[in-house]
Amino acid sequence: MNSVITKTKNVTVLEILDRVLDKGVVISGDMVISVADVDLIYLGLKVLLSSVETMKKLRGSSFVGPMQEAK
Amino acid sequence: MYCVADREPKINEIEGSQNNFYSICHNDLYAVAGKVKQMEFGEEGLKRNMADFQWVKRKISIHEKIIEQIMTDTPVIPFKFGTLFNTDNSLKAMLEQYGEEFKAILRKLADKQEWGLKIYCNLEKLKAGLVKNEADILKIENEIGSSSAGKAYILKRKKDEIIENILNDRINECSKESFELLKELSFEAHINRLLPREVTEREDDMVLNSAFLVVRDEVCDFQNMVDTLKMHYEGKGFLIDCTGPWPPYNFCGLPKGKGQNE
Repeated sequence: MNSVITKTKNVTVLEILDRVLDKGVVISGDMVISVADVDLIYLGLKVLLSSVETMKKLRGSSFVGPMQEAK
Repeated sequence: MYCVADREPKINEIEGSQNNFYSICHNDLYAVAGKVKQMEFGEEGLKRNMADFQWVKRKISIHEKIIEQIMTDTPVIPFKFGTLFNTDNSLKAMLEQYGEEFKAILRKLADKQEWGLKIYCNLEKLKAGLVKNEADILKIENEIGSSSAGKAYILKRKKDEIIENILNDRINECSKESFELLKELSFEAHINRLLPREVTEREDDMVLNSAFLVVRDEVCDFQNMVDTLKMHYEGKGFLIDCTGPWPPYNFCGLPKGKGQNE
C-alpha cells in the first residue's frame, strides 16, 4: 500500500535544495553562507548553467568553468 | 559542520568518507564535521562555487547523505549547508553556547521523523473535470447556447469567473484538507512557501508545500492517510508527493532570540 510513497533515495535535487539551503539550524560559525532566497539562488544557478552549456556547445571544446571564463 | 547529535555518531559507516569526517564531543553533545579546503570554502572560493550548479548539487547531496547516515541511529539537529568554523575550538565554543537549547531540541526530536508533502495541481485537468461536472457551469453553458450573441458574450465572461472561483475553492479545499488531516496525525506541522514553476521545472503548479514531524510509531497511520488523500484527489488534477523520512530540517529552530533562524 505504501509503495506509492517515494523514498528519499529518489528525490530530486529540488527537495534537497529546499531543505539544505533554506532550513536547518542557522548559527553563525566563523562564517555561514547567507542564502537569503533559495528561489533566487536556484534560478541564478540554472541561468548560469544553461549559459555555460550554451557556451560549451558554441565552442565545442572542453569546458573550463564559469568564473575562469568570465575573467 | 553537518549536524549535532546526543549519541556518538557512527562516522565510519559513512560511505566513501575517506576519514574526512569526524565528530567533536563537548558536554555530551556530538557535532559532526568535515574538513574542507580554504580554497573551496573560503569567502571568495565559496562565492564562486555557489554559482556553479554542479558543485552545489554535489555538495548538498553529500551534506544530506551524511546527515541521513547519522540519523539512522541517533536523533540529529541538521545544520544549514555552509556553516563553517575555522577551528575545532570555535565549534566547541558554539556547542557550549547553545548546549542547553540543542539538548532540548534533541529531546523533542527523539523517536520522530520529518515527512514532506507537496501538492501540485494541473489547472487544465482540474478545469476539464469541473466543466463536465459542476451544475453551475452546465447551467450557464445551456443559457449561453440559447442566447443572443451579445448576451452570450456576457454569460461567457460570467462562466469564466465562476470557473475561476470554483478552481480556487477546489485547490484550497485539497491543500487545506490534506494539511489539516495530516497535522492531526503529527506532533508538529509547518506550511512552507510555494516554489514557482521556474524552480520546480514542472508543468503543474505547487499548491501546498508542507512538512510534518511524525512520531515514529505513528508513521504508518500518516502514510495510510497520505494514500487515502491520493486516492481521493489524484486523477482529479492533483498530484500528492510525499517524501521522507528527512532529517528534521523544519523542526529544529532555536527558541526566538537564541539563534539566527528567520
